[in-house]
Amino acid sequence: MDGEADTTLAAGERPIWSGDMTIGRNGVAVARRAVTKGAGYRSYEIHQRMRVQQSTEKLNPLRLVSADFAVSPYPVFEILRENYPCYRDWIGNSYWISRYDDVTSVFVDDANYESRSKLWFYGLEDFGRDLREHLPVLVSQAKSLDANASPVANAILDSIASLGEADLAIEFAARYPIELLMRTLNLPAADFDAFAERYWSMQRGFDWDPVAESQGEQAMRELADYFRPLLESRRANPGTDMISAIAGLDLADGPATAEDVVVTLLEADHETLHGGLANLWFLLLAHPDQLHQVAHDRRLLKFAWFETLRHSTPVLTARRFARHEVERFGLLLPEGAMVVCAAGAANHDPRIYSEPDRFIVERKDLCPREPRGQYRADGLPAGLAFGLGKPTRYPAVPLDRPRSIYALTRDTAVAASNAILDRLPGLRLAPGTTPSLRSLRIGEMHTCWRLPVKFD
Amino acid sequence: MLATCPFSKKLEQLVDSVEAAPPSMAFPLMPVGQACDMGHGADGVPLIDPRIFDSWEFMRNPYPYYRIMRDHYPVFRDKLHNCYYVTRYQDVTDCYFDDEGFNTIPKGSSSGVLGNTQLELSGIEHKRRRNLYGQHLVGQSLDLRIPVIERLADEWITGWDQQAWEGTAVRDKNGVRTVEIGKAFANEFPISVVCGVLGFPDEARGQFYYWYNSMMAGLGGSETQKQGLEARQDLEDYVGELVEARRIKPTYLLDKDGNQVGKDIISKLCETKIDGDYLSTEEITSNIALVVGGGGETTRGAILNMWYLLLQHPDQFARVLGDETLWDAVFHETLRHSTPIGGQPRHNSFDLTMHGVHVPAGSLMNMVDFSANRDERIFKDPGIFDIFRDDLYTGKLLRSGFAGEGRHSHMAFGVGPHLCPGAWIAHQEATIGSRILARRMKNPRIRVSDMPKDIDGVSLAPMGLISVRELWLDYDLA
Repeated sequence: MDGEADTTLAAGERPIWSGDMTIGRNGVAVARRAVTKGAGYRSYEIHQRMRVQQSTEKLNPLRLVSADFAVSPYPVFEILRENYPCYRDWIGNSYWISRYDDVTSVFVDDANYESRSKLWFYGLEDFGRDLREHLPVLVSQAKSLDANASPVANAILDSIASLGEADLAIEFAARYPIELLMRTLNLPAADFDAFAERYWSMQRGFDWDPVAESQGEQAMRELADYFRPLLESRRANPGTDMISAIAGLDLADGPATAEDVVVTLLEADHETLHGGLANLWFLLLAHPDQLHQVAHDRRLLKFAWFETLRHSTPVLTARRFARHEVERFGLLLPEGAMVVCAAGAANHDPRIYSEPDRFIVERKDLCPREPRGQYRADGLPAGLAFGLGKPTRYPAVPLDRPRSIYALTRDTAVAASNAILDRLPGLRLAPGTTPSLRSLRIGEMHTCWRLPVKFD
Repeated sequence: MLATCPFSKKLEQLVDSVEAAPPSMAFPLMPVGQACDMGHGADGVPLIDPRIFDSWEFMRNPYPYYRIMRDHYPVFRDKLHNCYYVTRYQDVTDCYFDDEGFNTIPKGSSSGVLGNTQLELSGIEHKRRRNLYGQHLVGQSLDLRIPVIERLADEWITGWDQQAWEGTAVRDKNGVRTVEIGKAFANEFPISVVCGVLGFPDEARGQFYYWYNSMMAGLGGSETQKQGLEARQDLEDYVGELVEARRIKPTYLLDKDGNQVGKDIISKLCETKIDGDYLSTEEITSNIALVVGGGGETTRGAILNMWYLLLQHPDQFARVLGDETLWDAVFHETLRHSTPIGGQPRHNSFDLTMHGVHVPAGSLMNMVDFSANRDERIFKDPGIFDIFRDDLYTGKLLRSGFAGEGRHSHMAFGVGPHLCPGAWIAHQEATIGSRILARRMKNPRIRVSDMPKDIDGVSLAPMGLISVRELWLDYDLA
């Protein structure tokens, strides 16, 4: 190979295979794209035999897809973290990483691991474009969140404040992000139910469940049809909402379409705000002493939010894929290998946090800022709920650039929680109820789905 | 309870339904050949829930699900198990032939326990070794071993009269002998052939039987994995010593009369050179482990499946008794209908789009032999066991496969560069063994009362993805 460098290529480029070809006697066209890196093909031997000491008999991989895991993942996470820092899941065809240092190292390693979009999981890569990175879109979103966080929270609370009891998870946490999103997009309030149902179908459909996937695909097409006239009218008469911002983008590969709006919403998702809010209030209500503290010093709400995302992150795992063969964790991860970064396990890593299973709002060993890269601001680790992000093409702190989406979400959640404290005095768990966390399905958000409360 | 708007009500219903669901996902057991309902897409196409692949329903009744995949998802993307299934005959063979585009680098579950074997080499490295190992199992070398196979089969079956069986696998009553063909023959006969051609001492058979069982059980990476790895280690230590000994003093195969007919495989491998160097002990033991794993379990499954299927079709059995050459057709039709090895993993070397599904480079693509063998596009009424079918090639096994004169070869041994090197010897073991069995047993029939039943409690259980584990037969002694 080395002796045969193709002189027509730029330095460093060496195609192993290029051009299109068709295989198959039954007319299956197999397009082979030009490949300029190690393409998974190697003829020589890699010795990866497992030794007796490497056996993983303490954890049957079927437990990772069991109904039990969807309800209480943390015991399984502990087995992984304390025994198998890089667990080869033969049934799920993946590698599980569970220690804080390892998980963060994969998150920040954009050179070796790629994340794949929800659209890729859908298998609809050509459906539309993700436009979140465009500054006008970010700005319109940030402005809307800042302006609407408190009013929307108050509007929802108005409808339940007089009842004396409510389900804070279903009637507030689940509803709030979608109401906010509708304000951001400037959609008529009457469309709430139709929009919310399709939005949910879309967000639930990208993973392995074929029924949800089929419904999600349909919802995406319906949403695109819904946005199409809005996009056209706002292209002519732009407002300050996100659809207008998208319509006004000057894109290299053609003007924005209704499908682009749908994809942008799909990738942006609501899970951390919804799940984080429900978990925050579940934890506060289950720890009345901490709730008391927070109620008397509202500045602590921000720290309660950080501690919630550490203690009970709604997003338990994030998937990364090896861009090429990577030697790490004592193994050779092949190109395309799926690495499951268990943020939930890393957040309870006793190497990093003292008493990791306790919920302590004023935790001294948690970074009181959003995570940014593997290095820890103030020398402290951050809870992992959003991944760590990758560098964007913008400078670190431009004047016109809004706060990161992590910080925006935090401020939104804090505003909503402030409204709850204001509007629902004497808030407490409904007597006789024992709420808990669960995922509705393997791989989905892990959150409190029912939080019946009483107030004065 | 207090939900006031339709959205909240819907969400509440969703949470209710999840909480009310049974703790473990159970798929209903369906009559053989019918798929359970997993929902339909917008266009009415049936959906496949990937959790089915871990279910008992799929183990016993896989074929209707494979049919859905063949018809609607020729490349099925399984996002729960992070892999793709290729299910049509033509696609599977195409991929098997293209070992550059669909490579075998060690990512499959077998690499854990079996180590780095021929299964996982590609290209030239694979080819030169294939010739070294494979040559001992084909052609003239194979002919040399046929007397050994015949002698071993004969010994096993004669042993039924003499050995004390402690009432488990062989018992006589009222002129009828009841035999469990697995314990009494098929489980250990192939492994004794493997031991014979490899040149292991006969005493080691029992130990080998344990080792390969443990290694097979350990493949999936479950609780049994440690046992599998330990068995692999023990086997390697044992073989390592043997190899060292054979390097100094080779041993020979003997025919019926005690004449030397050639060196055994280990002794031959000891003197084999590659690039001017002798093969390392490590390399020999790795591939011996593969032969032990591959040569035992599969042939045992083939023999038991052959008898299980054939005895359920007495008319075909009668014709076979009248014409012993038909055992070849029985062997091939059994492997088409119910193969012991269901497929092979491949990884695509390049980004590709196949049947409209985009597969990124480095993805796991499972080639499903089970499904290819039941492809209606190739075999008419594929679910029917018929040794006289006119669309199955039953001649000498070819690396290139066979497609012509309206006949196709089955996929049980794969095809192309990675065609099973033990295909020919397995064929000999199964047909020679069956011929001798058929000559000894008078009026054999399945002892239905001792066999596992299907869900109706009456008919015999289907084989599904698992070969028959136990086969109880009655035959007349007089």
